[in-house]
Amino acid sequence: MTAVELDAALVAPRPAWRLTLGRFLSDRAAVASLAAFAFVLFASFAGGPIVSAIVGHSGYFQFPYATNASLDPAGIWSHVPTTQQVRLDEYGNVLPPPKGSPTTLMVLGADGPLGRDEFIRVLDGGKASIEVGVFAVLISVLIAVPLGCLAGFYSGKVDAIISRLTEWVMAFPLIFFLVFATVHLTPTLRPIGWGHDIPAGVPMVALLIGVFTSFYPLRLVRAQLLTLRNAEFVDSSRMVGASGLRIIRKDLLPHLVPTLLVWGAVAVATDMLLEVGLSVIGVGVQSSTATWGTLLAQTTGTIYNAGLSAGRGEHHTTWHTVWPTLAILISVVSLNQLSESLRRAIEPWRR
Amino acid sequence: MKRIGGFLARRIVGGALTVVAIVTLTWLMYWSISPQPGRFVYPLGIKITGYQLRDGAHRLGADRPKLTQYGDWWWHVLHGDLGHRWTGATLSNNVLTTVPIGPTLYPAVRETLSILVGGALLAVLISVPLGAIAGRRIGSHADKLISLGALVGVCTHPIVTGKLLTQWFGIDLRWLPVGGYCSFVKHPPPAGLPANFPTCGGPVDWATHLIMPWFTFAFLFLALYTRMIRASVAESIHEDYVRTARAKGARERRVMALHVLPNATLRVLTMVGMDIGTALGVAVFVEFAYGIEGLARLSIDAMTGDPFASATDLPMLLAVVTLIALIVVIGNLVVDALYAVVDPRIGAADRPGRTKEIAAGVM
Repeated sequence: MTAVELDAALVAPRPAWRLTLGRFLSDRAAVASLAAFAFVLFASFAGGPIVSAIVGHSGYFQFPYATNASLDPAGIWSHVPTTQQVRLDEYGNVLPPPKGSPTTLMVLGADGPLGRDEFIRVLDGGKASIEVGVFAVLISVLIAVPLGCLAGFYSGKVDAIISRLTEWVMAFPLIFFLVFATVHLTPTLRPIGWGHDIPAGVPMVALLIGVFTSFYPLRLVRAQLLTLRNAEFVDSSRMVGASGLRIIRKDLLPHLVPTLLVWGAVAVATDMLLEVGLSVIGVGVQSSTATWGTLLAQTTGTIYNAGLSAGRGEHHTTWHTVWPTLAILISVVSLNQLSESLRRAIEPWRR
Repeated sequence: MKRIGGFLARRIVGGALTVVAIVTLTWLMYWSISPQPGRFVYPLGIKITGYQLRDGAHRLGADRPKLTQYGDWWWHVLHGDLGHRWTGATLSNNVLTTVPIGPTLYPAVRETLSILVGGALLAVLISVPLGAIAGRRIGSHADKLISLGALVGVCTHPIVTGKLLTQWFGIDLRWLPVGGYCSFVKHPPPAGLPANFPTCGGPVDWATHLIMPWFTFAFLFLALYTRMIRASVAESIHEDYVRTARAKGARERRVMALHVLPNATLRVLTMVGMDIGTALGVAVFVEFAYGIEGLARLSIDAMTGDPFASATDLPMLLAVVTLIALIVVIGNLVVDALYAVVDPRIGAADRPGRTKEIAAGVM
């Protein structure tokens, strides 16, 4: 290496994002959380089809022989007869299937009295849950950025109205708004979907969660703009005659990206937990569609059937609670750490 | 002191305005969705006629001018009886009898407050020592373990915690009752039963029924409070006054309790204030997991509507909304007052900015 090259490498200005990326990649927790979340993404979007191709059935098939006579589901790693015909004796008791009938593998057993594959449903459920989280964050950013810019940059009366409204809404438990809105919008919005890729009900839940959580990024954006609007670079832009809109677009929006990234990573996790809450109450995605929320809801019962059966979640074992919980735990913990690491990489001076 | 008085007066007026605004908004939203009160009077009519709808609404007084009904609602609120429900209205011999809201709702408030207050105390009691241990040596094994546990706590939905705790301690080990609520005061058995008939009640029964709900509630909030106390302790442990206290020969426990931890009080208060709304949302799931018919459950039931009448019980809904708004506002007032007491410098100034973390999700 010659001296000239060395100088060039030292002197060449490195863009800020390269520095941030370097800091991010040299942080072991950051890389681990990124890898964990990438694994969750892969498992939930590609895992279901791959496992289906290997074992030969999808998460929608119902196997009558995946449950025993008292409707208790098959356990972990069981080979289940694929026949759809249930043989009965003259008293109506279920007989075992004929010897040598073909079987299929259920890795985590069956999901309950309906006899679907729990493993594939947990994988597929991840797809719907992550879609809810990501879409909800996108929607709330779309709402929050313009409103936050209005409130923060122009301040005055607009700011007062928006802030007051935010305070009122935030004083009230969010889940009540969600239940309220979901109950009344379900007939119109729940059928919207796009095949198996975006299951019906996911857009509705994402939209409502997105709208009602947009207050958090709104406050963030507003607070940031309030501090930035008096910065020198804004003054200089104004001096050369830039309009307010141009200043927001060119000078201020880039400053919001890191804040929103850090918030967004946590918010995806938060919104996934909200989806669980809605499903457990019984107003979210419809229960035949697998999401981590509906998988948990079938073990706990919803308000619509909780009072009816004394043993809520009968025909389910503790494992049926544990699998979706583990999946949620892995993704939420990794997203949380990802957000924390992003913050540390972007603002290393702040502890 | 005078400044604090003025500050509190302003807060009270602001809080009252907030309650009025929330109730009015709910009222407007629900009337715009046409609640069809007639269905409650003729609930079994599968094909309800237009006459029945009008007659039912008339008997419930729901066909009066909207403004009159709105005023009537506040009249009932100010008298404390909260009016009458639409659900359960029965028509016999051409006389309509309705169920008053107060008797259903006030016990429910007691149940919810038992969970909230007990759970919050438990959360603070556990998180202060944990935060102190973690914050004293950041990066130690204890710190890592506590942080991991806290993270798991905040990422576990209360309904899951509830389900697993019930399964283990209620069904498998049979240590604790699986659910339900027992009143704090023991009532005699209902008439017609012998006097020694076992009834549920009294402080011991009350506490054993609430242990699991308290832990479920605390497990979620533990994370946030532990993390915050940890940060506060880590910040102030290197301050000069702490070193001075140590140099004077004060024991470690005294240093922590008198010089380090008090710094976290303000932050804890701030968080408690803004978590009151969140906590009510969490209470929905805690009550749901343990089959407790508290205020949070009742409000969800009121919002999803009466499945038999397939309509919304508007007076009930307004009642729970009013009570929730009142709890949030009064809770915040108490926090404000405590704030002024703990840090007289701040007094009339606003509380520090609000930020919410992940528990907002479960809310």
